[in-house]
Amino acid sequence: MIPELKILRPEKLIDLLDLIAPADGATRILAGGTDIIPGFHINSKRFSSIRKLVETVKIPEMHEIKEEDDSVIIGSSVTFSELINSELINTYFPLLVKAVSKIGSVQIRNRATIAGNFVNNAPCADSVPPLLVYNAEVEIANKNSTRKVLLNDFLEKPYKTQLKDSECVVRIILKKIDKTFTGDFYKLGRRRGVAISRITLAVILKKENNIIKDIRIASGAVTPIGMRFTELENDLIGKEITPELLVSSSQKLGKNVLDVTGLRWSSVYKVPVIQRTFYNLLENICLD
Amino acid sequence: MKITFKLNGENVSIEVESYKRLIDMLREDFELTGTKEGCSIGECGACTVLMDGKAVNSCLVLAAQIDGAEILTIEGVNQGNNLSDLQRNFLTHGAVQCGFCTPGMILSSLALLNENPNPTVEEIEESIAGNLCRCTGYKQIIEAVKATAEMSNQKLRNQSA
Repeated sequence: MIPELKILRPEKLIDLLDLIAPADGATRILAGGTDIIPGFHINSKRFSSIRKLVETVKIPEMHEIKEEDDSVIIGSSVTFSELINSELINTYFPLLVKAVSKIGSVQIRNRATIAGNFVNNAPCADSVPPLLVYNAEVEIANKNSTRKVLLNDFLEKPYKTQLKDSECVVRIILKKIDKTFTGDFYKLGRRRGVAISRITLAVILKKENNIIKDIRIASGAVTPIGMRFTELENDLIGKEITPELLVSSSQKLGKNVLDVTGLRWSSVYKVPVIQRTFYNLLENICLD
Repeated sequence: MKITFKLNGENVSIEVESYKRLIDMLREDFELTGTKEGCSIGECGACTVLMDGKAVNSCLVLAAQIDGAEILTIEGVNQGNNLSDLQRNFLTHGAVQCGFCTPGMILSSLALLNENPNPTVEEIEESIAGNLCRCTGYKQIIEAVKATAEMSNQKLRNQSA
């Protein structure tokens, strides 16, 4: 059941930060609500202490997408539908568009927000792998100060991030990447619409004369939280792209995932699927 | 808490409990029972309404969150005493069987048609991917939406001719 709540809708960021400053454990930011509201309804323990919700909907800077010289700034309460419709995001960060287009349904994407997705930090948060390969930075504010942190460091473990009760994610900063990068995103769910991801992979790659100059690989759902595979990335940089390299790096990725998750009942299915998926992604990207 | 919003074209104000979701307020306080509750967790789409023209699951929105917004439910879709073309096409194409998904289906496809008067079959499928129907197999629903788009384009052509 949904408890008796106090619902506040401040119009300025500073007012929101004042409201969350006491860090009383009973106050939570509401940015969309597609996790919190059904979470209340099914009596999820994660939300049982909440008595006050502070909505972000009226704070203008949390809803903007804007271009700066070398980066694009995304307000933390931008919805997935707004990302999909943004020319800027389509131009510079196509994997993010591809990933969030597959989240939930039109109804969910019209409400759910980007920071809501990664602050909730479910293993299957589909915006996370593309944000990780784009080296997303998160700007966090409290009443007195602002700090920036890489999303990769911000995400700690399933349903847990660095965010303190007195803090709010205000913006996401994505550095524009070199136009010579190509990439792709893959999602495996049990059906197409409203499907919880089982496996997601995001890869971007830059090559010159068939040599890998840079590569970034991130997974979701199949690992406890969305994560980068930096060891494998470093291993691949400088290598010539050959069919053998695609096979051996796919095998390594499968092993890396097993190292993270340990052997599970589903491993026998998931590991070959990850390997094949990664191989197909690499093959498509390298043919570009 | 007191909220003010536009419901099916009319300005309304109501004192609503903070724990009520939009669907609870529509069904219990306004007795608009056309909006159906299926799964309660945003998967089935039976509770779909339009909020500022966009399809949303009314089970995933708190009543307090719609202060100042414009809400359209199935009760506001008809034109006076007549069914809208979309509603009529749902009937003539056999897109209504048990009827439980129908209000949500109509609102999801209405949101699509308002934004995109010439949708492809893929776009229609995407727009109702969040609405489950266990009777029709979807084909009739897609045909009804397609037929509505064709009718309104024909009307536009007739007007300009």
